[in-house]
Amino acid sequence: MKLGEDDVRAIADEARLSLTDAELVGAVRYINNFLEMVDRFKELDLKDVEPFCFAETNVCPLRKDVPAVFPDAKDILAERTRDMGSFFKVPRIVEDAVGNRDVSCEPAMGA
Amino acid sequence: MEFHALGVHEIAAGVRAKKFTALDVFNECLDRTIACESKLSALITVTADSGRAQAREVDAGIARGEEMGLLAGVPVILKDNMCTHGIRTTAGSRILGYWSPPYDATVWRLLSSEGAVLLGKANMDEFAMGNTTGTSAFGPTANPWDLSRVPGGSSGGSAASVAAAYTPLALGSDTGGSIRQPASYCGIYGLKPTYGLVSRYGLIAYGSSLDQIGPFTRDLEDMALAMQILAHHDLKDSTSVAKGNIDFSLPMGDKNGNVNLKGKRIALVKDFQDFTLDPPIADAMRRVLRVMEEGGAEISEVSLPTVARYAVACYYAIAASEAHTNLARYDGVRYGLMVNTATSLKDMFEQVRSQGFGSEVKSRIIAGTCLTEPVRSEEYYVAATRVRTLIAAEFGKAFEKVDAILQPVTPSLPEKIGESDEDAMKGYESDLYTLPVNMAGLPGLSFCTGYARDSGPVPGFPSEPTSGLPVGLQLVGPRWSDKNLLDIAFELQKVLGAPQIARGGI
Repeated sequence: MKLGEDDVRAIADEARLSLTDAELVGAVRYINNFLEMVDRFKELDLKDVEPFCFAETNVCPLRKDVPAVFPDAKDILAERTRDMGSFFKVPRIVEDAVGNRDVSCEPAMGA
Repeated sequence: MEFHALGVHEIAAGVRAKKFTALDVFNECLDRTIACESKLSALITVTADSGRAQAREVDAGIARGEEMGLLAGVPVILKDNMCTHGIRTTAGSRILGYWSPPYDATVWRLLSSEGAVLLGKANMDEFAMGNTTGTSAFGPTANPWDLSRVPGGSSGGSAASVAAAYTPLALGSDTGGSIRQPASYCGIYGLKPTYGLVSRYGLIAYGSSLDQIGPFTRDLEDMALAMQILAHHDLKDSTSVAKGNIDFSLPMGDKNGNVNLKGKRIALVKDFQDFTLDPPIADAMRRVLRVMEEGGAEISEVSLPTVARYAVACYYAIAASEAHTNLARYDGVRYGLMVNTATSLKDMFEQVRSQGFGSEVKSRIIAGTCLTEPVRSEEYYVAATRVRTLIAAEFGKAFEKVDAILQPVTPSLPEKIGESDEDAMKGYESDLYTLPVNMAGLPGLSFCTGYARDSGPVPGFPSEPTSGLPVGLQLVGPRWSDKNLLDIAFELQKVLGAPQIARGGI
């Protein structure tokens, strides 16, 4: 089934992307070509085929979950656009009683 | 002295033996870089000051009589999707345009602990999505053999840097061919290692089940040396396989002897034979096959019908789905681009992502979002993961009978910059020769066979240098056979010659 502009706009909205009109036209063509390509899977009988995984070892590859000291803690706070001494500078998103939101980058939020 | 023309092992040996200093090597390579960079644009960031400081440290260590590492004073370049502590790392995207990571990727930690010196961060397609380096937010890179053409991608900056001899070693990442295709377009060696052999910790993720870091070099011994250091189990990457350490230090044999491929079982893929190849690539296939036969290899055919028909669709379904998940983290809150004009939280996310991502990345995010929506997930994403099982099994069966497959890297030579097709899907089809390797987690080595002229390839290029475009081919092996691919290429190099430094007007 081909997707139209409204379908693609809804998907883009879900992905938190806003598209220009030109981008939307391109995205509709792209996604429909893409779906046509992956429609090939329907030629195959896949019901007894397991999803792929790299199962070469029975050893759990996860390391132990133990706290460790990050040697450069101050570097995490040192990003140029967000550096406020020992604080992260992030946009403040405030929702008032009626649901209106306000975003401002001026005040700093404490870590 | 032209240090930039030396190999990794030559520089490290010379620095350790105090024949020259790491600082002299770095400065000369930096001069070479600066001289070429206005034409190539291979780098996003040049790390002149920190590189000089690292080189001085190496020299100071040597002066103190300390034991120096395998890469003492060797300048290297990293693709700009590998985190470097305090050094801007952009992934070729506006959304990370000024991001400085607070930690090093494991691969850089391993190289620098052996004395490597960072010269710069290489240009790349945005978030590694592309095969021209043309989707970079920092503009395209040119091919050092022909400045009007693309160097390939997504690791095009890394490949162009090594081909143009900025450094003898650069790292790239390969999700669907992003090391092997630019290596082929730039006429050098590029290895996509077995998935799990090299740590991905600190690599900015695109398709996590496909991404793999690997080296570019102009010399096979240099590549073996790099892999000896990079093939290292890493607890910080749960996909790094503990049994994966392979001994790359074994000598490769006599450089000047006859080609010896006795006992090597090499196959062509029957199902690829009907696809059209540019004449220089078809000629190179015939020529290399003849060299293999004369060297005593057993040549046969394998059949990969599922790969030939479904791998491209399967790859893009999985890559887009993983990309959409991996790129969800770029929301303007924690790092990267942020905006001051949003009216709501959702508006802020949309503004940051819409201004920060380029159109190829947006397209793939939308495709991934679409394929993983609950109404379509079973039909497309889950189906793709099942098709992937069939593809891996097909390779597994083929490698019961053969040690390696010889195949093209691409069906054509590099196109002109800006010439890419309106229909992105056609570009995707040309990836058929590279991306199945990532689907099955296999190693693939791209190597240069010679140089094309309009009338076809020039045999024996070391004696007949041309400014024609390099023609690459690829060896693919079963998982953990990386060293065997280098050994086969080493034998071929006796006839094909080693890759040369590019001279396309730089």
